[in-house]
Amino acid sequence: MSAVEVAQVSKVFNLGTADQVDALVDIDLTVEQGEFVSLIGPSGCGKSTLLRLIADLIEPTSGTVLMNAKPAHQARLDQDYGMAFQQSGLFEWRNVQKNIELPLELKGWDKPTRRARSLEMLELVKLGQFAKHMPWQLSGGMQQRVAIARSLAANPPLLLMDEPFGALDEMTREHMQTELLRIRKETGTTIIFVTHSIPEAVYLSDRVVVMSPRPGRITAVVDVVLGSDRTEDTREDEQFYDRITEVREALRGAEMGSAPLGIEDR
Amino acid sequence: MTVVLGAGVDESVISVLPARGAQRKRRRGLRVLMFPITFAIVAALWEGYKVVGPQNGGKILGWKLLPRAGSREMPHVWDMVSRLTRPENGPNSQTIGIVVAKAAFYSFRVALLAFVLGVVIGMVLAILMTRFKFFERALMPYLVISQTVPIVGIAPVLVFILAAWSRNLGDQKWIAASLLGAFLAFFPITIGGLRGLKSASPESIELMDSYAASWWMTLVKLRLPSAAPYLAPAMRVAGAAAVVGVVVSEISVKINQGIGELVALYGQQATNDPAKLFTAVFGAAILGLVMSALVASMEKLMLRSRPVTA
Repeated sequence: MSAVEVAQVSKVFNLGTADQVDALVDIDLTVEQGEFVSLIGPSGCGKSTLLRLIADLIEPTSGTVLMNAKPAHQARLDQDYGMAFQQSGLFEWRNVQKNIELPLELKGWDKPTRRARSLEMLELVKLGQFAKHMPWQLSGGMQQRVAIARSLAANPPLLLMDEPFGALDEMTREHMQTELLRIRKETGTTIIFVTHSIPEAVYLSDRVVVMSPRPGRITAVVDVVLGSDRTEDTREDEQFYDRITEVREALRGAEMGSAPLGIEDR
Repeated sequence: MTVVLGAGVDESVISVLPARGAQRKRRRGLRVLMFPITFAIVAALWEGYKVVGPQNGGKILGWKLLPRAGSREMPHVWDMVSRLTRPENGPNSQTIGIVVAKAAFYSFRVALLAFVLGVVIGMVLAILMTRFKFFERALMPYLVISQTVPIVGIAPVLVFILAAWSRNLGDQKWIAASLLGAFLAFFPITIGGLRGLKSASPESIELMDSYAASWWMTLVKLRLPSAAPYLAPAMRVAGAAAVVGVVVSEISVKINQGIGELVALYGQQATNDPAKLFTAVFGAAILGLVMSALVASMEKLMLRSRPVTA
C-alpha cells in the first residue's frame, strides 16, 4: 500500500472565467512508505498546489488522491499527516511546548499525555530546555524545529513540508537539512518536501520530482542514489554533484532550453 | 542572526530579555511620576493666568486672549480642592467629596456594565460578520449610521420605550444609560474585532484546516488570540465611549444619582459657588481615569505573553 497515490489529478483555478489558470494537468505520483520525495520547479509550476491537494486543503478539479488507500479528505479528518510551512506559523501567544501540543489538544488528548508527548518531541528536535520559551525568543532555525516537532507530535505517518527552510540563512539551512534526515530516520516518517533549491532537493530526497509551469505538470523524476546514510560529507560527494546536474538539466529541459526562473542554483 | 549549531542553544537571544525588563521597570516608574508633575503644571498655568492675564483681554502676536478671570469664573485650585471637604449645601448636609465620590461610583458601575455589554455585543457582531460574509455586507452600513445619530436624541426615545415595558422605570432609568453607553462602546469593538479576527495568516488557517479543526475550534484557538492585539486599542476607545455615553445620557434622562446629572446640577449653582462645579468635574475626570486604568490592566492581561515590541 502506497503512502500517497495521486492519480490523473488536474486543478483549474477560476474555472470558466477570463483568468482561468490550469495549475496542474494530469498529475500521476506515487510515494511509497518511508520515502522522501521532493517537488521542485520554478514559481507557478504548481508544486505547492500539489502539496495542498494531497493535504486536502484544496480539492482537485478531477482525479483522485489517496493516502494509505484512504481518500485524502478522510485522511485529513483522521489527521494522518503533519504539515510544516515556510513561515514556521507558530502561535506567538503560546509557548514552545503549548505550540507543540496544539494538534494534540485538537485530537482531545488529556493534559498529562500531551505534556509527556510534547517534551518527547522537544528532545527529538534537541530543544529540550526551551519548553517554556515564547516563539519570538527563538531564532528562525529554532522556530522551524518547533514547527517540525508540532507537525510530528500526533505521530502521523506522513509529513508534508512547503519550503520549510526557505527563509533560513544558508548555514542554518544545511544544518536543518541534516537534522531533518536524522528525525526522519528516527521516526520512519514518509516526507513530501516542496523546495526550489536543487542541492536541498538532492541532498534530502530518494526521488526528486521535477515540475514545469503553464500548465503545471511533472516533466521528470530523478532517482537520487546516495544511500540512506547521508552526512555533511555527502555534499562534497561526486555522486551528489552528478545528481544536481541531472536535476538541473531536467529543469532546463522542462523550460525547453531557456534557463528556469526562480530556481536557486546554490 | 545567530547561526544555530549543535544542540541549537542560542544564548544571545535569551540574555537580552532581563535587560529589557529592567528598562521597562524604570520607564514605568517615570510614568507614575508624570501624572503629579503634569497636574502641578496645569495648576500652575491656571493660577498663573489668574495673575498675569490681561484685565480686559487683548492680543498677543495676533492671538486673542480672554480677559483675566475673577475667582468666580476661575476659582483658585486650592478652593476647588478644599471645597471637597466642606458640606454640600447647608451645614447639616453631607461633605461634598463624599457626594461626588458616591455619584462617580454610581456612574462607574453603570459605565462598567455599558462597557461589558459593548464588548460582548461588539464581539458577537464581529464573530458573526467573520463567519457569514453576507452579514457583514448587510449590517455594516447600519452600524456606521448608528454611530452618527446623536446620543442625546436617542436617550429620551429609549427611556420612552423602556417605560412602555416597565411601569416603575423611575429607579431603573440607569438601564437606559447603560444601554446608551453600550451603544457607543460596541462600535470600536466590532471594527477592531473584525480586523483582528481576519488577521490570522493564511498559513495558520491552513494549519488548522490540516488538523481538520472545526470553525469553532479555529475561532477559539487561532482567530480570537490573533485578534487580541487589535482588540486592546479598541477596548480603550470603548471604555472612554462607555463613560461618555453614560454621563451624557444621565443628563439627558435626568438620573439624579449619577455624576453627569451632578455636573449639570452644580453648573446651575456655579454663580454662587463656582468651586462646587469643579468638584463634580473632578469626579467625572476620576471616573474616566479609573475606567481607563481598568481597561489598561485588562489589556496587559490580554497581551501578557506577546513580543515586547507589540
